[in-house]
Amino acid sequence: MAEHFDVYILNNGMVLLGEPMEAVESVAFGFMLPAGAALLPDGCCGASNVIADWIFRGAGDKDSRQLSDAIDGLGLVRGRSVGGSHISIGAALESGNLAKALDLYADIILRPSLMEDQFELARQLAIDDLLSLDDDPRQKVMLKLREQFYPSPLGRNTLGDINELKALTAYVSGQIIKDKFNLSQTIFSVAGKYNFEDVCKQLEGLFESEQHGNDESMNLGQRQGKYTHINNDGAQVHIGMMTGTVKPTDEDYYNARVAISVLSGGMSARLFTEVREKRGLCYAIGARYHGLKEAAGVMCYAGTTPGKAQETLDCIVGEFNRLGEGISAEEIDRAKVGLKSSLILQSESSSSRAGAIGSDHYILGRIRSLDEIKDKIEETSVDSVLEFLRAHPFEEFTIVTIGPKQVNVE
Amino acid sequence: MEFKSKKLDNDLVIIGEINKSAKSAAVGFFVKTGSRDETEQINGVSHFLEHMLFKGTDKLSPLEVNEAFDRTGAQFNAFTSEENTVYYAAVLPEYLIEVTELWTQLMRPALRDEDFNIEKNVIKEEIAMYKDLPSFDVMDRCRNLHFDGHPCGNSVLGSEESIDNLTAELMRNYFARRYAPNNIVLACAGNFDWDKICSIAANSCNAWQHQTVGRKLDYSEGSRKKERVEKPNLVREHICLMSASVSAQDPRRFAASLLGMIIGDDVGSRFFWELVDKALAEAASLQFGAMDGTGAFCSYIRCSSENVNKVLDIVRNIFDDLDKSGIAEDELTKAKNKVLSALVIKNELPMGRLVDLGFNWTYLQQYHTIEDDVNAIKAVTVDDVHLLIKQFRPGDFTQLSLGPVRNR
Repeated sequence: MAEHFDVYILNNGMVLLGEPMEAVESVAFGFMLPAGAALLPDGCCGASNVIADWIFRGAGDKDSRQLSDAIDGLGLVRGRSVGGSHISIGAALESGNLAKALDLYADIILRPSLMEDQFELARQLAIDDLLSLDDDPRQKVMLKLREQFYPSPLGRNTLGDINELKALTAYVSGQIIKDKFNLSQTIFSVAGKYNFEDVCKQLEGLFESEQHGNDESMNLGQRQGKYTHINNDGAQVHIGMMTGTVKPTDEDYYNARVAISVLSGGMSARLFTEVREKRGLCYAIGARYHGLKEAAGVMCYAGTTPGKAQETLDCIVGEFNRLGEGISAEEIDRAKVGLKSSLILQSESSSSRAGAIGSDHYILGRIRSLDEIKDKIEETSVDSVLEFLRAHPFEEFTIVTIGPKQVNVE
Repeated sequence: MEFKSKKLDNDLVIIGEINKSAKSAAVGFFVKTGSRDETEQINGVSHFLEHMLFKGTDKLSPLEVNEAFDRTGAQFNAFTSEENTVYYAAVLPEYLIEVTELWTQLMRPALRDEDFNIEKNVIKEEIAMYKDLPSFDVMDRCRNLHFDGHPCGNSVLGSEESIDNLTAELMRNYFARRYAPNNIVLACAGNFDWDKICSIAANSCNAWQHQTVGRKLDYSEGSRKKERVEKPNLVREHICLMSASVSAQDPRRFAASLLGMIIGDDVGSRFFWELVDKALAEAASLQFGAMDGTGAFCSYIRCSSENVNKVLDIVRNIFDDLDKSGIAEDELTKAKNKVLSALVIKNELPMGRLVDLGFNWTYLQQYHTIEDDVNAIKAVTVDDVHLLIKQFRPGDFTQLSLGPVRNR
């Protein structure tokens, strides 16, 4: 059966997207609010994280407790995340409760109470989350890596900066909400069991009269240093490394995805085979594509005990370098089938589809059908992937390590 | 949905729930063995063995195994707990037969010395990785303190020392004892052909030898000991609390999981309102863990060193209040709504369904439809939860804290 997507744009520019799924009884929805870490004014790093908490602390005629009880009463499985571009809030639920849930989320977005005492609590939690990162070197190394790799402010730490969080006020945060919860740039998506006409009518009534609008341009700064080491007397050296590649909008995007899959798609891919299976250097080793609208890279993580850190790094860099020298037809076939099958497996989940269509619309301005993606993956070949690697070799790395020992990156 | 089951002559059970409208299928071997079935000498062997199954058979090399899986695009892996080792794959329907056939071969692994020696390094790296994750480390240590000699306190990963001392020969012996067909369930969920699965199993698994397999099933009340461990590189206080609860076979397990939700769900629970909402702790959760013949409530709390005493006082008040005043009807309703949504959403995916299907059979030798579980959750009353609180007194816990060195 051909896939079908629903699209409707409110007069104020807010985009409503939908993907009906016949096999499920659930529905998932999400609002992408253009108030991510990279869009914040200077000096407010971490405000998105505070705001994503603060807006749930009372909205419309409900205080914090009443709002939370109402959400739980509908059995919502909540989702909330802060990225570079957006604060995303949403939920998965039994489809019969969708209309009631959307009423609550309209209050949270348009009429949050924003009480000052609640702000202090949200801010303290954001500070504590950031401090906790020191006890989670694996997550910390990847956040630091993004910060170092992407031109500022794209890679800003989504958890924030400690000094800027300590200085953040309720007034400034309230102002950010006013400026950045821009409905003309907000994307709503829904997937699963729903009636699109009803959803549009309801959201039109809830959001149409609101006219928040603002310019979202940003100036990109420099990339940070090539190698950063953070000392930590832990058991392992956590290595994060990233190299630039084509963006999701590039015509070579699928060649890049297949190339990265040859390197680190399944367990027969090169990094797992060389670093873990043959040499036993690591337990956790992997590389994946990381794409923003403005820039993209291949992100790689490995964790290893200090005595093996240098050999691990050298082995990984060697595999990145070796990729352009030759790839077998079997490797390409495995990469392709892996990418296609994970696409279909993910398509059974309403949450993952709601997220995917929203992000497609934001990055590409349209939704890709599963068939289109499958065809594009199918079109790649040994030649096209090698040609891509010749034009865009994986050479320059930004590296971050956390652990008891530094590595030599020359 | 249609349920099927079959038992081979050697007592290997095959079960399947067919959903022809699913886009994928999932298959899994559920082996009833884990760290609680180990002695001190071989601690960590169940988990190490799980890794070794991917190293191939007399006919397949490790690389050939990985290539064979990847050719099908399967999302495949395995996990080991205190009492189960599960090998699974989620895959497009047209590849399910191939993947199932591969798993049946791997279930009789070669366990070669040379692969064992390389993989030992990987296991030691995994142990090191979890040492750098205090949220995991604290649970592992607390489980050990709580079960205090009971085999459910055995570490799944083992220690660097136990892994160093382990030999391939000891592993082969353990394999021969535990991977008997009568100790394994083969389960399938989603869109698949039942008859084909049965014929693969009949061809590949019939020769597996039936064995007498046992497990110590003593109930554990828990030690209720309190300990604090210091690690100089930590900045936060990580606290784990454990107390006794009902087993995976006990009908009261649904009430226990609702009680867990009421006390310690990530949002909207008592822990949440008293600790997280007030910014005294950045994480506070409690979960019910059902096990074979025993069970536990397990909490994880993370906060600053300055807040520790205040946080622990509040935790005590929460449990005292629970003991004195019980729970409210609307608290139970909210918990039910949350548990039910999560259950239904998880079971929409064949992979999610496989896990429930396999464990229900492992523990109960029964098939439960999703509706059976939904109805059992809906039927729980406030009184059921109160009886549970009275009998198990979740406030009477074992406590292990992991945190920075304190100034004295």
